[in-house]
Amino acid sequence: MPGSDARNRRRWQAIKDFIYGLTGYQFVHHARAMKHETETLFLLATLGDLVGLPIMPPVYSLRLLPHVVPEIAKWKRQLARQKEFWEKEEYDLHGV
Amino acid sequence: MNALIAVILGALTVYLTYTRYARRIDRNVIQSDPKRATPATLYMDGVDFMPTNRNILFGYHFKSIAAAGPIVGAIVAATLWGWLPAMIWLIGGVAFMGWVSDYSAIVMSVRNEGHSLSAVAYRLVSPRTRTILFLFIFFYLLLVAGAFVGIMATVMESQPRTHLGMILLVVMGVLLGQMLYRWRIGLIPATLLTVGITLIAILMGHASEGFFQTLNQAFNSMTGGTPLVTYFDPTLANFKGAEAKIMPSLLFWAVAICLFCYAGSVLPIWRMAQPVVYVGFWITALAMLLGLGGAALGTITKPEVAQFQIAMFKGWNPQMGPAGIMPLWPMLFVTIACGAISGWHALFGSVGTARQIENEADMLPVGAGSMLAEFLLGMLALLAISVGSKGSPVAAFANGLGGFISVWGFPLDYAVSLAFAAFIVIVLVVTQLLFRVMRVTLTEWLGDIIPPLRNQHFSSLVSIALAILLVMTGTWIYLWQLFGAANQLMAALSLMLVTVWLASVGKNWVYAGIPMILMYITTVASVLVTAYNLYFNVCLPNLQAGRMLPAAGSGLMVLVAILLVLAAVFIGIDGFRAFFKYLGNPAPSARPAPVKG
Repeated sequence: MPGSDARNRRRWQAIKDFIYGLTGYQFVHHARAMKHETETLFLLATLGDLVGLPIMPPVYSLRLLPHVVPEIAKWKRQLARQKEFWEKEEYDLHGV
Repeated sequence: MNALIAVILGALTVYLTYTRYARRIDRNVIQSDPKRATPATLYMDGVDFMPTNRNILFGYHFKSIAAAGPIVGAIVAATLWGWLPAMIWLIGGVAFMGWVSDYSAIVMSVRNEGHSLSAVAYRLVSPRTRTILFLFIFFYLLLVAGAFVGIMATVMESQPRTHLGMILLVVMGVLLGQMLYRWRIGLIPATLLTVGITLIAILMGHASEGFFQTLNQAFNSMTGGTPLVTYFDPTLANFKGAEAKIMPSLLFWAVAICLFCYAGSVLPIWRMAQPVVYVGFWITALAMLLGLGGAALGTITKPEVAQFQIAMFKGWNPQMGPAGIMPLWPMLFVTIACGAISGWHALFGSVGTARQIENEADMLPVGAGSMLAEFLLGMLALLAISVGSKGSPVAAFANGLGGFISVWGFPLDYAVSLAFAAFIVIVLVVTQLLFRVMRVTLTEWLGDIIPPLRNQHFSSLVSIALAILLVMTGTWIYLWQLFGAANQLMAALSLMLVTVWLASVGKNWVYAGIPMILMYITTVASVLVTAYNLYFNVCLPNLQAGRMLPAAGSGLMVLVAILLVLAAVFIGIDGFRAFFKYLGNPAPSARPAPVKG
C-alpha cells in the first residue's frame, strides 16, 4: 500500500536522523564552528572597516565583496551577539 | 520482582507521562505554536542558532545529557536503600519533575530569544543570581570531578582486565580525530576501524589481566608492599568504616588518569576530547542496548539472570560509618540525580538545544523525550545492580549487566568485560571533559584577579589538584551526594526561573512551582546532612588520627556544602521576591517572539 510505504519511509528516515544526531552531528556542529572562525578572520581582513577596523584598501574589499556577500548577515549577527562564557563548545559535557 | 516487569513499568511510565501529562501541559499551558518563529529561524548564524530537524536534535540532546549520572546514582541508591525506593523515585521524579525541568528550560529560552538561564535570571530575578550561578557551576564541576576520579582510580586498580581497553580507547580516539579532521576520512569507515579495535581490546580484557596484575605488583614491590597513605574510609566494611590504603599501583593509575584528563583539557577539543567521547559513546551504547534487550528477553529465556537479588528495602536510615546518618529523605533524592531530574540538562538545554529548535512543536519531543529516554538508562542501571548482588556496587552492576548481555549468547566472561568497560568508559570520557570545563570556568571566574589562571596549563593543573585533594578523603559516595545536591539545586533554580517566567507572562505556574519547592527544600536539607556526615564521619576521625590530608579534603567539602546552602538561600530570596512581584503584574517585556513570515 502506497500510504504505508510512505509512513515506513518516514519512520526509517526518523530513525536515521536520530542516529545521525546521536553520532555524526557533533562533528558537523564543531566543523561549522571551526569554519566560522576561519571565515571571521577572512571577513575581518577584507571588510573590517564595516566594524571599525580599516585593514585592507576598500578597492580590494569591493573586489572580494561578491564572494563574501552570503556570509555577511551571519557574520554581523555573530559579532553583535555577546556570548556568555558557558555557551562555548566545551560546555557540552556529554551527559553528566 | 524480575527485569521484565521493571522494563514494562519503565515503558508505561514513559508512555503515560508523555501522552497524559506532558502533552497536556504543552497544549494548555505553554500553548506551543508551530507557526511562531523560533530564535533558530530568526537569528540563524550558521553556528549556534541553526534550525535543525527534530529527530536529529533529539539524538543530539539525548547524547548530550545521558551518561554516567543516571548509572552511578542508581547503583549507589540501590546499595544504600534497596531497589524499591530507588525505582519509586526514578519513576516519580521523571514523571512529575524531570521532564518538566528539561522541557521548560528549553521553552523559556525559545520564548526569550534564545537567552541562557543566567541571562533570563539576570533580567527576571536579579543580577546577583547570575553570579551565584557561576559559583554553582564551579563547585558542581569540582565535586563531580572528584567523585569520578575516585571511582575510576579504585576500579582501574582493582580490575586489571579493563586497562587494555581503556588505553586503546584513548589511542583510537586520538586516531579518530586525526582521521576525521586532518585526513578527511569518512565518518563510517573511521568509526568502524576505531570502535572495532577498541571493542576487541575490551573483549580481550581478561586475556591481558595477568600482564597488568604483574605490573601492579611490580609497582607495589617498590615500597615492599607497604601503603603510601592510609586514611579512614566510612564506606568500607559494609559501611561500618575501616582504614583504607593507597598503594603505589593506585597512585600510578590515578596519575595516569590525571595525565589523560590534562591532555583532554589543554589540547584542541577535536584532537582528543571530542573523538574519545565519540568512541566511548559507541561502546556504552552497545553495552546498554544489549543489556536492555537482554533484560527483557532474559526473563523468558534465562530467568536466573533476570531475578532481583538485592533487598527490596534496606531501611529508612542505613548506618554509614561510626557517626553517619543516611535518611531516605532527603538523601535518596540527591543520590539519584540525572535519571530523575537534573539541573545540568536545563543549563545545556537553554544554551545548546533551544537555539536549534526549528519549530515550537519540536520542544516537547526533544526536551521531554530526551529526559524520558534518560530515565530508561537509569532504570537499566537499577535493573543491573538489582540482579547482580556479587562484589562492590560497581562490580555488582557489571556482573548484572554482563548477565543481561550474556542472554544474547556471549560467553559470560566477555559480557562482564564489556559491562565493566562500559561503566569505566562513561566515567572516563566525562572526567576529561569536566577538567576542560573547570579550566575554562576558573579562567573566566578568577582570571582577572589571579592572572596566572589565564594560562590553560596552570588552570588545568589547579583544577586537577583540587579534585585530587577531594579524592584523598576516600569517600566518593559523599562527593557523589554533594554533587547530586549541587545538580538538584541547579534544577530547583532552573524550575524557579521557569516559575517566575510563567508568572511574568501570566501563565499557570503550578506544574513547575510545586516541583521547584519540593526540590529546593530537599536539596538544601541533603547538603546539610552531607556536611554533618563529612564532619563527624571523615574529618573528625582522620583529624584525631593525625591524617591531615583527608581531614583537609573533607574540611574543604564541608566548606563547599556551606557555600552551596548560602547560595541557595540567596537565590531563593531573590526568586520569591521576583515571583510575587510578577504574580499580579506580568512584565510587559516578556512578550512572545513575533510570528514568522
